[in-house]
Amino acid sequence: MSKIGVFICHCGENIGATVDCAKVAEAAASMEGVAFATDYKYMCSDPGQTLIKNAIREHRLDGVVVGACSPRMHEPTFRKACAEAGLNPYLCEIANLREHCSWVHPKGDDTTEKAIEIVHGLVEKVRRNSPLTPIHVPITKKALVIGGGIAGIQAALDIANCGHKVILVEKEPSIGGHMSQLSETFPTLDCSQCILTPRMVEVAQHPNITLYTYAELDSLSGFIGNFEAKIRLKAKSIDESLCTGCGLCTTKCPQKKIPSEFNAGLGRRTAIYVPFPQAVPNKPVIDKEHCTHYRTGKCGVCEKVCPTHAIRFGQEDRIINEQVGAVVVTTGFNVLGTDFFPEYGYGRYADVITGLQFERLASASGPTLGEIRRPSDGKVPEKVVFIACCGSRDPAKGIPYCSKICCMYTAKHAMLYQHKVHGGESYVFYMDIRAGGKNYEEFVRRAIEEDHVNYVRGRVARIYEKEGKLIVKGVDTLLGATPVEIEADMVVLATAGVSNQGSEELAQKLHISYDPYKFFAEAHPKLRPVETNTAGIFVAGACQAPKDIPETVATASGAAAKVAALFSQPDLVREPLVAVVNRSAPPVFSTCVGCFMCQTACPYQAIEREEIKDRSGKVIKVVAKVNPGLCQGCGTCVAFCRSKSIDLQGFSNQQMFAEVEALLETTN
Amino acid sequence: MNNLTELANKLLGDGTATKVIGYEEAHGKTRPCFCTEAADTGRLVLDERCTNNIAVYLTKPEIVGGHKVAVTATLPVLRTMVQLAMENQLPDGTTAIVSTESGEGLAVLPTVGDMERVVAGTPLDISGKERELRERLKAMSREERWQFWLGEMSRCIKCYACRAACPLCYCTRCIVDNNCPQWIQPWASPLASMEWQISRVMHMAGRCVACGACKQACPMGIPIHLLTLSLAEDIQNEFGVAPGSVMDHGNVLSTFKPGDKEDFIR
Repeated sequence: MSKIGVFICHCGENIGATVDCAKVAEAAASMEGVAFATDYKYMCSDPGQTLIKNAIREHRLDGVVVGACSPRMHEPTFRKACAEAGLNPYLCEIANLREHCSWVHPKGDDTTEKAIEIVHGLVEKVRRNSPLTPIHVPITKKALVIGGGIAGIQAALDIANCGHKVILVEKEPSIGGHMSQLSETFPTLDCSQCILTPRMVEVAQHPNITLYTYAELDSLSGFIGNFEAKIRLKAKSIDESLCTGCGLCTTKCPQKKIPSEFNAGLGRRTAIYVPFPQAVPNKPVIDKEHCTHYRTGKCGVCEKVCPTHAIRFGQEDRIINEQVGAVVVTTGFNVLGTDFFPEYGYGRYADVITGLQFERLASASGPTLGEIRRPSDGKVPEKVVFIACCGSRDPAKGIPYCSKICCMYTAKHAMLYQHKVHGGESYVFYMDIRAGGKNYEEFVRRAIEEDHVNYVRGRVARIYEKEGKLIVKGVDTLLGATPVEIEADMVVLATAGVSNQGSEELAQKLHISYDPYKFFAEAHPKLRPVETNTAGIFVAGACQAPKDIPETVATASGAAAKVAALFSQPDLVREPLVAVVNRSAPPVFSTCVGCFMCQTACPYQAIEREEIKDRSGKVIKVVAKVNPGLCQGCGTCVAFCRSKSIDLQGFSNQQMFAEVEALLETTN
Repeated sequence: MNNLTELANKLLGDGTATKVIGYEEAHGKTRPCFCTEAADTGRLVLDERCTNNIAVYLTKPEIVGGHKVAVTATLPVLRTMVQLAMENQLPDGTTAIVSTESGEGLAVLPTVGDMERVVAGTPLDISGKERELRERLKAMSREERWQFWLGEMSRCIKCYACRAACPLCYCTRCIVDNNCPQWIQPWASPLASMEWQISRVMHMAGRCVACGACKQACPMGIPIHLLTLSLAEDIQNEFGVAPGSVMDHGNVLSTFKPGDKEDFIR
C-alpha cells in the first residue's frame, strides 16, 4: 500500500483564483494510496517546501504529487526538497495545475474537477514510480573549436589558458579570418593586424592548442562530454615538416592571375600560395583547382625549385578522429557581393566595391599598400560615395535584419579616406546611424564634424557610369526628399553581412538549430547567448548574427567560460530518465528478440548489441542494450519495440498507462 | 526417387543441413514435414499445393535448435526468409531449396544474398480475387468500412491462430500476453478483437511479405490479410518500398531518407 502525499499549491492567485485548491486537496485525500493531502498558498516558498519535508518525515510518505505550475518551472525545486527529506527525488511528480488547468480555463466547478483528475492521474503514476539514481558520465576534457577567426582564436586561447587541450580547425590555409583583412578598426583606429597577429602566433605556439588549418569537420557523433569528431585535413600538397616557409615556390609559380581571396578579389595570387605574409602557419598550400600540374599534369616548377623537396603532389586528404568533450562553433560570416544589387550595376562597374574591398584598399598590407586608388584605373578618387544598408533592413531583398557593423565601418571608411586623400570629398548615404556602443557615437560625430564627411539621410536609387564617372542618384530626406546627384569616382557599398557558405550543412552535421538566414541559433537569446540547444555545443561570434570585434571577442570568451565550467566538473551527472531493455530469469533472459529495429530508430545511436553467454562463453542470445550515456530518453525505441521489451525509466509503459487510465476513469 | 528427395539427401549427407523442413502430401493436400534422415525424405513434395508458410518454424527453437536447416521454399517462404534475415532471426547456415524458374529443376540458395536476388527478381503480384475484394473495401466510405470490419471482428474468437501462423510474429512475449499494463482487452468482442488486429497490423508495417498465412489460418474465415495488404500498399505508395522487398538498412518506419515525403507536416 502506497503512502502518497499530495500538495496543492495556490500559486498565489494563479491557480487559487480559478481552482478550488482546498477541494482538490480534499478529493486527493480520499484517492487510493494517498496518505496525506493539503493545500498552501506558495508551495515553492521556504515554508511550503518545509511543509512537504515535514509531511514526508511525519507520515513516512513513499511518493509525492505536487499540484503546481509546469514541471519545467519547479520540478527540480520540489524534487530537491523531497531528497532533503530522505525521499528519492524521482518519487516526486508534478501535476501541472497552472498551465494545463487554471490558466486555460475560467473559474468554475469543471475547472476544479479537471484539476482533481490531473492529480488523480499523477497519483496513479507515482504509485508505480521506482527510485532512480542519476547517471554519471565521464567528460573528455578537450575542446574542439571550429573556425579560426578572431572568435575561434579568442575561445581557443581562453580554454587553453584554463589548462585544457584545444583543437582549432580552420578551413582556410591560415587562421585570422575576416579580422586579418581589415585595415584600421573602429572606434580607436588601431591597426587590425597589429592587434590580431600576436594572437595568431600565440595560438600556433600554445602548448595546449593543436591547430589544423586547411581542414574541415567531416562529422560529429556522440554527446556532451563525449563527442567524436572526424576532421578532414585537406591535402596541402606539401610536407609541412620539411617546408621552411621560404616562399621560393610562390615566387616561381607560373599561375599568377588567380583572384586573391584575402584581398577580396582586388589582388592576385599564385596557385601555390600563402594567403598573406603574416599567415599562421606561414607555409603554402597548392590550390588544386588552379594549379597547372593538377589540371594538365605538366609544370611542377614548385617541386623543382623547392630547396627542401617538400612538394607532395600525390598527397591525399586525411581524416583524423578526435575525442572531445565540447565544441565551440565560430565559423563567422560573409558579406554580399556587389553583384547582388541590380540598381548599383550588378557588379559590372569596377569602381563600385564592397566595404570589405575598401578595407583591403585602405590596408597597409593590401594591393595598393594602403593608398586609396580605385580598382579600374588606379587613380586616386576625388569624390567617394559610401552607401550604408546595402541589402540590410530591406525585406524586399530578403534581409530584414540590420547588419549592425556597417554604420560604424562606413564612418571609419569615410574617415580613413579623408585622412589619406587630402582635399577629397566623401558622402555617406544612410537610413539611420546606429552607433550604440562605447565611444561609437563620438566616433561618428568625429567623422562628421572633424573630418567633414557629408552625411546624407536617404537612399540611393541608382548608379550608372557616364564619362568615367559614377553618377549616384539619390534623395536627401532631411531636405524634403530633394533629389541628389553626385558624380563620384568610386562608390563603396556597405553590403549586408550574411551567414557563411556551408553553415547550413555544418549545422546539420552538428545537430544545432539555425534561423531562416542560416545563422546559428542560440539556446536562449538573452540568458543563454552562447549555448545551442545541443548540450556541449557552443557558438560565438558572427556565425550567430553580424557582430563587431568587441562583441565577437566577448561571446568567444563567454563560450570559453562555458566550456571551462563544463570541464571543471569531475564527471557529468545526467538524469536517469533513459530507456532500458528488460532482463529476466533464464531461459528467457529478456523478452527482447534482437530484431534491432530500435537500433535504426534511435536518433542518438544509443543502442548496442549485447551477447548473453553461458558459462562456457557460448552465445545464447543477442539482445539490444541502451547506452545510458548516449540515451536522451526520447522514447522512440519504446514506441517502436513490438514486444515492449524497452521501457523508459520514470515514464514506463505501466506508469503512463495507469496515468491515462486514471484520467479516463474519473471522466466516466 | 524424385529430384527433391535426391537433393534433400545430398544436403543431409554432406552436412549442409541436418534438418530439412518441407511439405508432404496428406489427404490430397500438403502439410509441413520435418526430415532429419534420408529415410524421411521420400515424402517431400514441392508444388503449387504447398501454400503454408513453413518459414514460421525457423524462429521456433524447439524445431531449429542445434540444427542446420534447409527449407524447401516457395516464393512467399523465400520472401519471409529474407525478411527474417533482415531482422536477425534467420538461423545461421539456413539454406533454401527452390524450384527453378522453369519449374522443372531445383536450385539450392546457400546464402541470404542468393535468396535476395531471387526475391528481388520477382515482384509481388496480388491475385485478381484479392484485388477485387480490396478495391471493394477501398470504395467504401470510412464509416461503411468500419462497420464492415466490426462485423467481421464480431466473428473473431481470439484464438490467435493468425499470430501462430504468421512467420513474422516471433516475439518471445507478445504484447497480448502482457498484463502489466494490459494493452489489449483479453476477451473476444468486436472492439477487443479490433484492438488486437490493429496492433498486429501496425507491427507488420513495412515487414509483412503478403504471404496470406494469417487468412489461411483463421478458422472463422475473416479476411484479415487485407488489413496488412492495405498497409503494405500504403507503405509502397508513401515510401516506395514494396512488400517483401529488401531494404538495405532497417525498417521503413525506423529509418529516414532525405527523399521521404514530408507532406504530412503542415
